Amino acid sequence: MSSDYGSPTVEHEASAGDDEAGYRSYEVYQRERVGSPPPVKPGQLRTQDYLDDPYTLLANLRHYGPAFRDWQGNAFWITHYNDVTSVLVDSANFATRSKRWFYGLASFGRDLRSNVPFLTAQAAGIDKHASTVAHELVQAFASRGSADLATEFAAVFPLQLLGRAWGIPDADLPVFAERYLRMQRGFRWNTANQEAGKQAMLQLVQYFTPLLAARRADPQDDVLSALAALEIDGPAIDAHDVVATLLEGDHETLHGALANMWFLLLTHPEQLDMVNNTRRLVKYAYLETLRHSTPVLSGERFAKREVERFGLLIPEGALVICSAAGANRDETIFANADQFIVGRKDLVQREPRGQYRADGLPAGITPALGTPSKFPALPVGRPRSLYAITRDVATIASHALLDATSNLKMAPGAQPVLKSRGYGELHTCWHLPVTFTSK
Amino acid sequence: MSLVEDLRKTVIASYEVDAETASTQSFDFPLMPLGTAYDMGRDANGIPLFDPRIFDSREFQRNPYPYYRILRDHYPVYHDKLHNCYFVTRYNDIAECYFDGLGYNTIPKGSSNHVLGNTQLELSGIEHSRRRNLYGRHLVGAALTKRIGAICKLANEMIDEWFNPASGMTEYDPATGKYTMELGKAFANEFPIRVVCQVLGFPDEARDKFYYWYKYMMGGIGGRDYEQKGLMARQDLEDFVESIVEERRLKPNFLLDDEGNEVAPDIISELCKTIVDGDVLSTEEITSNIALIVGGGGETTRGAILNMWYLLLQHPDQMEAVLNNDPLWDAAFHETLRHSSSIGGQPRQNTFDVELQGVKVPAGSLMHMVDFSANHDERIFADPEKFDIFRNDLYSEKILRSGYKKDGRTNHMAFGVGPHLCPGAWISHQEGSIGSSIMSKRIKNVRIATERMAKDIDGVSLAPIGLGAINELWLEFEAM
Repeated sequence: MSSDYGSPTVEHEASAGDDEAGYRSYEVYQRERVGSPPPVKPGQLRTQDYLDDPYTLLANLRHYGPAFRDWQGNAFWITHYNDVTSVLVDSANFATRSKRWFYGLASFGRDLRSNVPFLTAQAAGIDKHASTVAHELVQAFASRGSADLATEFAAVFPLQLLGRAWGIPDADLPVFAERYLRMQRGFRWNTANQEAGKQAMLQLVQYFTPLLAARRADPQDDVLSALAALEIDGPAIDAHDVVATLLEGDHETLHGALANMWFLLLTHPEQLDMVNNTRRLVKYAYLETLRHSTPVLSGERFAKREVERFGLLIPEGALVICSAAGANRDETIFANADQFIVGRKDLVQREPRGQYRADGLPAGITPALGTPSKFPALPVGRPRSLYAITRDVATIASHALLDATSNLKMAPGAQPVLKSRGYGELHTCWHLPVTFTSK
Repeated sequence: MSLVEDLRKTVIASYEVDAETASTQSFDFPLMPLGTAYDMGRDANGIPLFDPRIFDSREFQRNPYPYYRILRDHYPVYHDKLHNCYFVTRYNDIAECYFDGLGYNTIPKGSSNHVLGNTQLELSGIEHSRRRNLYGRHLVGAALTKRIGAICKLANEMIDEWFNPASGMTEYDPATGKYTMELGKAFANEFPIRVVCQVLGFPDEARDKFYYWYKYMMGGIGGRDYEQKGLMARQDLEDFVESIVEERRLKPNFLLDDEGNEVAPDIISELCKTIVDGDVLSTEEITSNIALIVGGGGETTRGAILNMWYLLLQHPDQMEAVLNNDPLWDAAFHETLRHSSSIGGQPRQNTFDVELQGVKVPAGSLMHMVDFSANHDERIFADPEKFDIFRNDLYSEKILRSGYKKDGRTNHMAFGVGPHLCPGAWISHQEGSIGSSIMSKRIKNVRIATERMAKDIDGVSLAPIGLGAINELWLEFEAM
C-alpha cells in the first residue's frame, strides 16, 4: 500500500490499490441486488432451530443458490457438494484458523501433528489398544442387558482409547478427561467456557510436565514418549507443545460418528439386521453415517484475499462456512440423499486419495478429519490417514458390540434424537438407551 | 471396571455442564435496573466476563450502557466469536479508525447493498469522495442557508394543522383547553420527509410514495423479513426518479421564495447538469444517490426530534432554560445526540492485519465502531449517563468533518467523523433545532401524557430510550 496510509484526514490521496478494492463489477452488483429473497434469516442459523434440525434450513439454502451471505456475521454459507469440496481443497484462497487462535493464544505451544514420528506413534498406539479398550467397555455393561450406547459407549470409547494410546495412566484418566473436554469445548464463542478452557490448558501443562520428563528418561511404547523423543527445529518439546497438539486434534468425530451410527442403525432395524448378518457392512454403515448425519456439521475457512466465487464477491477475511451437512444431502450428488442406505452405490466405499471423488464416486464430507490425504492409501513410510484410522477404529468398536450382544434394539419408549448442545458443537445423539440379550 | 464408570461420569458431567445455557436461544437475560449490568461471571483475575448473546437480548435493547461500560473498561476491542466480528467501543479508538479511511474501509458493509444500491456508503478513498461531494455540497453552507426559509415555512404549515380539528392530528378537550397528540404522527415522522422531498425537488404528489419507499427500503436494509419488499420499493423509486431525471435534464426545477423568485435549483436538477471529468452523471448514478438521501433523511432526524423532546420534558429545568433562550436548542440537539442517538455505529473492515488495544485483528474482519459507546465514554464525557445540555465537555457548534477536540470540549460521535461523516448532519441539525424552536413558540405548558406512554419494567416510570429512538411521544399542551 502507498505511503500515505496513516495520513488520516486526507482522503483524496488514496492509492490506486485502494480504488481496486472498492471496485465491484456491474455483473456482481446486479447479482447481489436482484434475486429471490433468502429463505432463512441470518440470525436463524445461530438459533435453536438450527441446532435441533439443521437439515431443513440447509435444504432451503441449497435450493436458494450456491452461497448465502450472512452479513451480520461476515459469513458465507456454502451448501452444494461441489462448492464445499472446492473450497476445502483451495488452500491458496481459503485458510483455517487454529483453536489456539480462537482462544487468543496463537503462540501457545506448537502443533506437532504434522510430524511423521508423531503420526506413526499415534497410529500404532490406536491400533494396539483399540480392540482391548472396546472389549473392556462392552464387558462393563454386557451382563446388564441394557445400556445407554451414547454415554457408556460412544462418548467414553474415544477418550479411553486416547488415554491408552498417549500413555496416560488409567488412574489419571478421569481427571485428564475432565480437563481435556473443558479445553476442547472452550475455544468457541462462550466466554465463560473459554475462561474455563484456558484454566484447563494450564492444568494440563502442569500435569504433563512431570509425565513428559518421565517418558523422556524412560521411553515407553506410546505417543507421549514419541513426542518426548521428537527432535524438531527450535527449543525442545515441552508440555505446552503437548497440550497444543492435543487441543488441535480432537476425539469428537469418533464419538459423534459412533453415536450417530448406532442411532441410525437402531432407528433402521432392517439395516441393523443386514449389518449384523453381513459383518463387512459395518464399515459401510460407518461411511454412510458420516454422509447422512455428519457429527461435525461444517468446516470453517477464512478468505485469504478478495475472491469472486459463487456469484458473489467474498471479501478478504470473510468466514466461509462449508456446510458438510448441507453438501452431504445434495440431491444432485447422492440419490435419495435424505435416506440412510447402508452400502449405497453412489458413495465411494474406500478412502478417497487426494480428492473428494475417487473412481468417479463422491465421498461423504467429514470436516474434522481434514481434507482427503494427498498421500496414497497405503503410503510408504507414513501411517494411514486419520480418516482411515478413525474408520477402522469405529468398525472395531462396533464389531465388539455386535459380538457381545444379540437381539439389540432400542429400549421401549425411548425417543432418541440428534441435536447439537450449542452453536458449533457436535450434532449427535446424546442418549441412546438400548436393550439386548447377552451372549 | 470402576475406571470406566468414573470416566463415564466425568464425560457425562462435562457434556451436561450448562447444557441449557450453552444454547444460543434458550437462555434469556433478566431485565436489570437501569444502569446495572447482569453479572456474566468473572475470570480468574476478577475481570468481568462478557457473554456475546447479550447483543441479541431484550435487556440490551433497553439497557445497553452498563454493558458497553464493561467492554470499554475491560475489552476495548472485543472479539465476538458468536457473531464473528469485533466491537470497538472507546471514543479515541473509534475516531482513529473513522479518520483512517484506508486502513478501515467500508466496502463490505452488506447491510445496505441489496436495497440502497451501489452508493458511496460502501466506497472508500477517492471513489467515495467523488460521489459524495457531488451531492453533499448541496446540503451544507450557503446552499443550505438558502433553503432555511422554506424549512421554516414547512414547519409552520405542519403545526397549523394541529389546531385544525379536521386534520385529526390532535385531540382537543374544550373543558381544559388542552390538546393531546402523538408528536411522531403529528410532526416528527413527516417533517424530515417533507424537507427531503423539497430539497430533492419531488412533486407534492410523490409524498405518499415516499412513505412507501422509505418504509420498505429502511425495513429491507435490516436484511431480514422485508428484503424483497425493500428491493421492490427500491425498483419503484428508481423508475420514478428516472422519469424525473429525464424531465429535469431538459428543464431544471427551482425552489421559489414567497415572491416567486428562484432561490436554488433542487438537487436532482443540480446533479443533472453536474459534469465530472468532462462527463455527465448517468441516471443510475443519480438514482442511487437519491436512494441514499431518501434512506438517510428520515428516521434519524425523526428520532432526534422525539428523543430531544422526551429528554427535555423529563428535565424541566433544562426545558425552561431552552424555552427562555432560543440558541440553546443547538446545545439541546447535540446533547440529545450524545446521550441517545438514533444510529448505533458503523461497520468497518480492516484492510490490513492490525493490533488495536493489544488485540490482533486479521485483515478483512468485520469491526463495529460503536458510536453509542463512544458517546458514553467517561474518558471523554464526564458522568456520561446524565443528560445535561449545559455540560462543558461537549462541543455543540458547527459540525466539522475533522471533528473537534480542544479546550476540554469534544464533538459527539452520532454523525461520525472523517471522510464518512454524515452528509446530512447540517441539514438534520437545522431541521431538529429550527423545527423544535418553531414548535416551542406555538405551544405552551407542554407535558408528556404519561398515561399513554410505554413504561419501564416497574410499570410506573417512563421507558428508557435504550438503543435507537422511542416509538411514540404523547404530548399534552395548550395553544400559545
